[in-house]
Amino acid sequence: MAAAFASRLTRGGRSLLGGLNNGGLMNESILSQQQQRRTFIQMGTVLKVVDNSGAKKVMCIQALKGKKGARLGDTIVASVKEAMPNGKVKKGAVVYGVVVRAAMQRGRVDGSEVRFDDNAVVLVDSKDKNTKTDRQPIGTRVFGPVPHELRKKKHLKILALAQHIA
Amino acid sequence: MRLVKCWFCSSTIYPGHGIQFVRNDAKIFRFCRSKCHKNFKMKRNPRKVKWTKAFRAAHGKDMTKDKTFEFEKKRNRPERYDRNVTENTLKAMKKIDKIRSAREAKHIENRLKPNKQKKLLDDKKEHDQHIHLVQAPGVVSGKIKVDVSEKKSVQNEAMEE
Repeated sequence: MAAAFASRLTRGGRSLLGGLNNGGLMNESILSQQQQRRTFIQMGTVLKVVDNSGAKKVMCIQALKGKKGARLGDTIVASVKEAMPNGKVKKGAVVYGVVVRAAMQRGRVDGSEVRFDDNAVVLVDSKDKNTKTDRQPIGTRVFGPVPHELRKKKHLKILALAQHIA
Repeated sequence: MRLVKCWFCSSTIYPGHGIQFVRNDAKIFRFCRSKCHKNFKMKRNPRKVKWTKAFRAAHGKDMTKDKTFEFEKKRNRPERYDRNVTENTLKAMKKIDKIRSAREAKHIENRLKPNKQKKLLDDKKEHDQHIHLVQAPGVVSGKIKVDVSEKKSVQNEAMEE
């Protein structure tokens, strides 16, 4: 009886393992077929700067909210990797930015989702401890579409400067 | 409540459903479900995918020109709310829907009509050509057994007489 039990156990174990293996293989094949998997904006993510602050590209070094990283509308700390020669922001500067476009989808209040073409950021000033105002954009223009969720995050200035609101 | 159409399959998207993709030139692509979103990501042309409305319209499968489609249109001027008008509209919506579905059914019937006749003709032709294959009911294949002995005896009796 004990032998029978043991054999049943092994059979069960094997089938379980087999199932796991199959699952893993399938996931990999699906991933390879699809485009690059879009995830959070985390440390090392390079984002496009879509304002006239002078920076062209920044690298995220810290998300101010969330364990996994920043999403659409969140604020990040970034380091300027590429900048125009005579802009307000110099290469190597540590700046704050609001993620105005993210390739990873973000849920909306009504339950639908929104997704953008690229990861883009608008640079904002660092908040002083004395003045408790919201972060204001450094540049005076914002290019491309921005989500209306920024209103909820109180980035009204960015919304006012934006060309299109999606 | 704003209802929009899916970019890929042209079905209605109800609030809270689907995903929308905003391209960098601010064009918004709305999708009713992940199936449509995936097909878009695969860069498929909705006019070439058989199950979409665009394909069916382009290939004459569905009714495209009809007065009933005029009602379902985005109007830029907002209508002033009037209780009676709203009530009548709600009543009319059901009726219009009924009329449209009837017309659509008729359209498909008309579309299939020539095929039906052709099939009938083809069947008739096949029947005429292969008539030799048709066997009469009750005929047994192989040699037909006939009881001859009795017949003979009858004949013999006739001879004797």
